[in-house]
Amino acid sequence: MTDIQAPSDRELLIFKPKPSQPPPPATTGLIGWLRMNLFSSVSNTLLTVIGFYLIYLVASAVNHWGIELAVWNADTRRECLDQSPYGACWAGVFVWFNRFIYGRYPDLEQWRVSLTWVIFAAWMAPVWFPRVTSKVAIGLSAILIYPFLAGYFYLGGERNWFMEIMVSVAILSFVLCWAHVLLCLITGRGLGTTIISLSGYAGKHDKTHKYPIIAFGAVGFVIVYALISGWTLKEIGTNNWGGLFLTLVISGIGIAFALPAGIVLALGRRSKMPVIRVVCVAFIELLRSVPLITVLFMATTMFPLFLPEGLVFNKLASAIVAVCLFSAAYMAETVRGGLQAINKGQYEAAAAIGLGYWPMMALIIMPQALKLMIPNIVGSFIGLFKDTTLVSIIGLYDMLGMIKAVSQNPQWIGLHHEPLVTAAMIFFIGCFAMSKYSRHLEKKLGQGDRR
Amino acid sequence: MSVEEQETTEHISSALSDEVVIELNSVNKWFGEFHVLKDIDLSIYKGERIVICGPSGSGKSTLIRCINRLEEHQRGDIIVNGVTMGNDVKNIDAIRRNVGMVFQQFNLFPHLTVLENCTLAPIWVRSMPKAEAEERAMSLLERVKIPEQADKYPGQLSGGQQQRVAIARSLAMDPQIMLFDEPTSALDPEMISEVLDVMVGLAESGMTMLVVTHEMGFAKRVADRVIFMDFGEIVEQNTPEEFFNNPKSDRTQLFLSQILAH
Repeated sequence: MTDIQAPSDRELLIFKPKPSQPPPPATTGLIGWLRMNLFSSVSNTLLTVIGFYLIYLVASAVNHWGIELAVWNADTRRECLDQSPYGACWAGVFVWFNRFIYGRYPDLEQWRVSLTWVIFAAWMAPVWFPRVTSKVAIGLSAILIYPFLAGYFYLGGERNWFMEIMVSVAILSFVLCWAHVLLCLITGRGLGTTIISLSGYAGKHDKTHKYPIIAFGAVGFVIVYALISGWTLKEIGTNNWGGLFLTLVISGIGIAFALPAGIVLALGRRSKMPVIRVVCVAFIELLRSVPLITVLFMATTMFPLFLPEGLVFNKLASAIVAVCLFSAAYMAETVRGGLQAINKGQYEAAAAIGLGYWPMMALIIMPQALKLMIPNIVGSFIGLFKDTTLVSIIGLYDMLGMIKAVSQNPQWIGLHHEPLVTAAMIFFIGCFAMSKYSRHLEKKLGQGDRR
Repeated sequence: MSVEEQETTEHISSALSDEVVIELNSVNKWFGEFHVLKDIDLSIYKGERIVICGPSGSGKSTLIRCINRLEEHQRGDIIVNGVTMGNDVKNIDAIRRNVGMVFQQFNLFPHLTVLENCTLAPIWVRSMPKAEAEERAMSLLERVKIPEQADKYPGQLSGGQQQRVAIARSLAMDPQIMLFDEPTSALDPEMISEVLDVMVGLAESGMTMLVVTHEMGFAKRVADRVIFMDFGEIVEQNTPEEFFNNPKSDRTQLFLSQILAH
């Protein structure tokens, strides 16, 4: 035991970390990246050179056609061709751009369409503001109540009693939403709390708090109702709707309808009750096995045959119904996929703490499943947005329909490429924005269960 | 329960009453063709602590899962707190409100914080005001010794901490009976004791507990009765003292020699 010394007698080794050295040259930074990724071997260098050459060819051709030789100002396609036979005729796009966006909606009334877009943006914007409470209520009101306001602005004409009420409710909701948002941003208290404290109910029992809010809402409704009675907009039939506006109407309604309907169908398909399950499976499988164009034709040509004589069903309405049903069937399968990804233990845990079916679904299962499904849901939305162009085949003038119509205009006959390129860009902007937002949403919602 | 004097120093004395809270009368269950539970008869008294052990596939988990209807039995009666289990949804909900359950895999809700996990059921099932539910949940989290984790998400906690949250979540519903389905089997060895400590604390407070576990130390210390199951039958049930020192059947002896050998 003499060879092992007590620690105090031993000379302690002192550990000194080696100083860090710079990495070998040309492995980091731009040059390093280029070497690693593009020129790592002879064959890769060759492929890189060929690749860049192809990019150059495409880019120069696009530049040549779209910019260098392009005509930006002309009154007819003939003029375009006279100025530059091989260049793009952007002049045609400029002349018709308004039509691509609004279809045949009268020029003087187009502010109505634009205004509803602005209102929608203003309605939804507070959802992304920090410090604003009740965001779910704001978002829901934008999806459930706003369509009545937008619908009236688009259609105009006399309002029946139902529309009279719904338009009043919609205007009131919008005003209240923004009152709430401003109060939240300035005072930090929501509209409801402010009303309760101003009315002196703050000290009273919780259950009485709803009375001043109901009273406030009722007074607001009466005021709005009185203000808008007698105010009408010029009626514009749906046959004048068109362009991007019509595309957005159809896909917007389709998207807003697809998710809730898809959830209901998916739950129905997993239900233990045989009748509900069979109905849901039949609906989903039937609509999924038929092309959308067939569903559209059925809705606009076959369906009216079954209606009693004299009852004419609007072509746009049939198309919207068809798109809604079709997208709901697809969404149902997406939702079902998400539901199946949820661990059985989650259902059991929820059941074991006494939650019934609907609270279990709403509070435990759906929030987790929807988060998993975001990429697929947004994928369906993008698909739906693009699929609405099919309505041009059944004679609705959506953006693609308008482009076709323009190419048959005597003065612009044969103008195809430039409007199509424009439409492609508009669709790309819409789809890319949705895709980007879905990535953002995934990241934001994924924070909770990050390990 | 007559436990001898020298053992009671170790053993936690129970507040057993003669009121039956769970009664099983010749309960039978099949998974398809497979007969999982065969004529189970069992009475559990208020405040009683029961440990169920047995080899895997013996039906012990299925038995306690039948008690809150996570599994459906096909024949026989299960009566919990005087309510007979049937297909009536109202009865099932009434039973589930009184019976808490802790799972092997914790099954916390990953999208909710620890505090929200514990307040969800009181708010939605018992319609408790949020502030009160949060106050109660905090006191329960203190009881399981993790109040400082209240605002974290389950994924950020260790296994032992998650299981303690799961216990607090069940307790938030103020159950009269707690079922534990192998609560420590999925845990790393050094985390088992923190969960068992909480369960011992719960036993001390007089909770009626049914615990499926292989922690024999826990059984010796806490159980009023140990039940040994195999092939869907109750092979033997006895006080832990008798069960471990003087097993009646050869099957029990074999099982004990296998799990206590090391």
